[in-house]
Amino acid sequence: MTKDFKKRFDAVAARALGELLPGERGAISYSAELSAFMRFNGGKVRQSGSVEQADLSIKLWKGAKTYSFMLALSGDEAEDDERVAEAVGKARALMPLLPDDPYQAVPEAAGSSDARYSGSLLPEAEIPARVLGPAAGLDFTGVYSQGLVCRGAANSAGARHWFQTETFLVDYSAWLPNGRAVKSSYAGREWSDAEYAKRIAATKRSLENLGVEQIALEPGKYRAFITADALAEVVTFFSWNGFGERGIRQGESAYIALREGRESMSPKFGFSQDFSLGVEPAFNDDGELAPERLEIVSGGRIANTLVCSRTAKQYGVPANGAGEDEGVRSISMDAGDLAEADALKAIGTGVYVSNFHYLNWSDVQAARVTGMTRFACLWVEDGRIVGPIKDMRWDESLYNMLGAKLEAVTKERHLLVASETYERRQVGGSLLPGILVDGLSFTL
Amino acid sequence: MQNDIRRLLDSAAAAAKEAEWIGLRRRRTSASYYMARDGAFDQAIAGVDDGVMVEVLYDGQFAYGATPDLSPEGVARAAESALVAAKAAAGRGVHRFDRSVRPAARVSYETPRIRKAPIAPDGVFSFLIDACGALKAGDEIIQTTSMVEIGRYDYEIASTNGADVEQSLHYMGTSLQAVARRGDVVQLRTANGPRGLTRQGGWELLDAAKLTEDARRVGAEAIELLGAETCPSDRRTLVLMPDQMMLQIHESVGHPLEIDRIIGDERNYAGGSFVKVSDIGSFQYGSKLMNISYDPTVAGELASYGADEIGDLAEKRLLIENGTLVRALGGLESQARAGVPGVANQRASSWNRPPIDRMANLNLEPGDTSFDAMIASIEKGVLMRTNRSWSIDDYRNKFQFGCEYGTLIEDGKLTRTVRDPNYRGISSTFWRNLCAVGDAGTFAAFGTPNCGKGEPNQVMFVGHASPVCAFADVEVFGGGK
Repeated sequence: MTKDFKKRFDAVAARALGELLPGERGAISYSAELSAFMRFNGGKVRQSGSVEQADLSIKLWKGAKTYSFMLALSGDEAEDDERVAEAVGKARALMPLLPDDPYQAVPEAAGSSDARYSGSLLPEAEIPARVLGPAAGLDFTGVYSQGLVCRGAANSAGARHWFQTETFLVDYSAWLPNGRAVKSSYAGREWSDAEYAKRIAATKRSLENLGVEQIALEPGKYRAFITADALAEVVTFFSWNGFGERGIRQGESAYIALREGRESMSPKFGFSQDFSLGVEPAFNDDGELAPERLEIVSGGRIANTLVCSRTAKQYGVPANGAGEDEGVRSISMDAGDLAEADALKAIGTGVYVSNFHYLNWSDVQAARVTGMTRFACLWVEDGRIVGPIKDMRWDESLYNMLGAKLEAVTKERHLLVASETYERRQVGGSLLPGILVDGLSFTL
Repeated sequence: MQNDIRRLLDSAAAAAKEAEWIGLRRRRTSASYYMARDGAFDQAIAGVDDGVMVEVLYDGQFAYGATPDLSPEGVARAAESALVAAKAAAGRGVHRFDRSVRPAARVSYETPRIRKAPIAPDGVFSFLIDACGALKAGDEIIQTTSMVEIGRYDYEIASTNGADVEQSLHYMGTSLQAVARRGDVVQLRTANGPRGLTRQGGWELLDAAKLTEDARRVGAEAIELLGAETCPSDRRTLVLMPDQMMLQIHESVGHPLEIDRIIGDERNYAGGSFVKVSDIGSFQYGSKLMNISYDPTVAGELASYGADEIGDLAEKRLLIENGTLVRALGGLESQARAGVPGVANQRASSWNRPPIDRMANLNLEPGDTSFDAMIASIEKGVLMRTNRSWSIDDYRNKFQFGCEYGTLIEDGKLTRTVRDPNYRGISSTFWRNLCAVGDAGTFAAFGTPNCGKGEPNQVMFVGHASPVCAFADVEVFGGGK
C-alpha cells in the first residue's frame, strides 16, 4: 500500500464529491495507517506483525434526506475508484426510502489545513531486540506500536483538511512476583534508545517501592493524591454522558445539575478543549474546524458545551465544530499551585494513586463514579511511602472529587497520548495535572 | 466471495518460501444501522469492510501481515512483511509453536435464518418511528430512541496444511430507550440494555409487534421510576433477571476464565485473573447449583459458529460443573502454553487483528426452581433488571454493577419498585452464595457486540444465556451524591 495517503485521499475525495449531481451535497472523512505491532508478555513476544488499512466515510445530503456509508479501501487506485462510485450509486437509490431528516445540517465550512509530522521510527526487523532488550530481567508486559497515521476530511462546500503523523508507543507494565506492577509508557515521534533506557531505569526504581507486603485498607474516606495517569481515566468520562449539548438537553448527561446551577465544582477545577496540544486535528468528519481553544469548565462552572451542527440546528444554538458524538477532544486541564515534588508531604497520611481502572457511573445524575485502584498505588504516612496497597474500589461523585473535596492541583502537567487501538490507532491525548483530594470514598 | 483464497494462498506461499506454514484469514463485514429519535429520522448508516490477514510460522514463531489489498501482489507483500516480523521475533517468543495449533479443518457454517429478504429502509423506519411513539408513555418522557442494526460477518480460512473454513454469521440487534424527567429526577430505561438484544438470525428478529409492546412497557417503566424510592442500602437476597445475569456472567465468570488472562497476556490492559492454572479441575468457583457452559451451538445466540478463527472445531463444553471449575476458556495456543484443556475460542475482531481468547457463548445452565417459587422463598430481597453500569477490578474480584429497575421482595412477594439499584461484591464469594437457579421457563439469551480486550485492542460480539438466579447476602445500595 502506498505511503502517499494524501494523494489517495485527494483521489477518492475527487471521485466521491465529483460524482454528486445537482442538488446533492457530500462530506467525506478518511483514515489510513501503516502500523507495526508487537505484543509482549514476560519480556517475550506474544504476537507481532503489520497492518495496512485505509477507509472512507461518505455522508450524502439530498433534499431533506441524509445518509452515511463507510468503505474499506484496497489501496489500488482503479479498484477504489470503482468502489466509491458504486457506493454513491447505491446510496442515491436508497435515499428516497428514508424519512426526512428534521435536523439536517449540511456543512458550509470551506477552509483547508494540512499538518504533517514525520518521525524517526525503528526498522521493523529491529523492534523485538530494541524494545525488549533494555527490559531484560523484568517481567515486562504490554504492546509496542508504531507507524504512520492519517486523517482527512473534505466536503462539497470546498473544505479540505489533512493530518498525518508518524508515532511510536511502548505501553507497558513491569511486574513483581507478588503481583504488584508499575505501569508506564514511552511515546513520541523520534525513537531514542537512550531516552527509552532512562524510562526503563525509572520503572525499575519505582518497583523498589512494591516489594514489601501489601497493606489492606478498610473501607472509608482517605486523603488521596491522584496522579495525571490516574486522572486520565476520569477524563474519559468527560466525553461519556458528558459535556455535549445534546446529552444535557436530552437527559443523558451527568452534568445537568451543573448546568442548571444545582451543583458546582471547585473554583480550582477547569479544563479546555485545546488543539494547540498538536496531537490530533481540529477538524471533524464533516470538514468543520473547531476553535483552537474552547473553555468547557472554568472556575468550577460550565463555560461552554460541545455543540455539533446537527444539535445547533435542533436547538438554535451556535455550533463549535464538535463531532456528532459531541465528545471533548484534546483536553487541557488547568494547572494549580501544588508542586509534584510536594505531593507526598501534601498527602500527609493517605493514598498515592498511580492508576485507576475500569470506571463507570454509579449514578449518572449525581455524577457519581465507581472504579478501582490499580498498579503502584501506595500507602503514605506522615509524607513517607510505607508500601503498596491492595487494590480498593472507590465510589465518589465528581461533584465531590472535583468539587468540595478538591484540595489542590499540581503546577506540573503531563501530556498523555491516546493509546487506544480499537479498529485503528487513535490520535489525541490530554494535558493533565495531578490532584489532591481530601476524603475519597473507598468502599470495598 | 469473489476472490479465490487458494490462489491468494499460493501468492503468499511464493512470497514467503522460508515459512514452514502459511495461513490466510479473510473477513468481510457488512452492516446497516438505522436510528430514530423522538419519532423522527436520526441516522442511517451502512458500511463494508474487507481484508485478509496472512500468518506465517517461522522457527516456532507466528507473525502476521494484514492488508485490504486482495490482489495476489498485495497478499504477497503482506506475507513478506509477516515473514520479516516472524524472523525478528524468532527465539524471543512466549512459546515455540508448531502447526498443531492451526488444524487442517474443513468447516462450512451459516446462521440459520427464517426470513432472508431484507425489509426496505422505509419499512424499518416505519417500525422505529412507531416504537418511539410507544416509548412516549407521557409528557414526562423527554427523549425516545429506537435503533435497528443488521449485518453479516463472512469468514474464509485457508492454509498450507489444508484448512478450508467458510462461515457466514448473520445478526440483528434492536435497542429501545426512553428518558423521563420529573423535577430534578431523571431516569433512563431500555429494553434489555443498550444493544443487549443482539442475536444471530434473519429479518424474523424484527418482530415489530413484540418490540412495540416492549417499547410501551419501557416508556411506562421510565415514568414509574420517577416516583420510585431509591434502592435501600443493606445486605439482602438479590434476584437477577437474565438481562443482568448476562453482565454478571460476562464480567465475573467469562473474563476470569480466559486462559490468556490467567497466564498474563492481558495484565497491561484488560487485566489478569484471580484464577490460577492450577485451579482448573478443582477450584470451587460457586455453589453446587452453578453450571456454566461454553456453547457455540445454540441457534440464535450471538456467538454461535462452526469453528474459531484458527480453524478449531467448535463444540459445547462444560466449564463449571456443580460449582467446580473443570475447564477454562482458551484456544489451541493458550492450551499449548498452559498445558490445560480449553475450547475453540481464538477469535479476532476483524482481518486487521490477530485472534485471541474470547468468550463466545457463555451460558448458565437452567436449574429447577420456578420464578414464583424463587420469589416466595425470599423474606427480604430485591430483584434487579437490565444492566446500566459495570466495573470490576483487573483480577476480576471486586465488582460493582448497577441496574435500571429494581423491585423489593418482602415476605415472599414482589412489592415496591426502586430506582438506581446497585450491588457490589467479590466474584467467588458472590457465586458461592448462588442459592437458587431458575428453571427453563426463566431462561433467556442475550448478546452484546461490545466486549473490549487485547493489545492492539479488539471489540468482540459475545452471547450469554441464563435463567433467573438468586444470591444470598449481597450488599445492595441506591444512588445519590
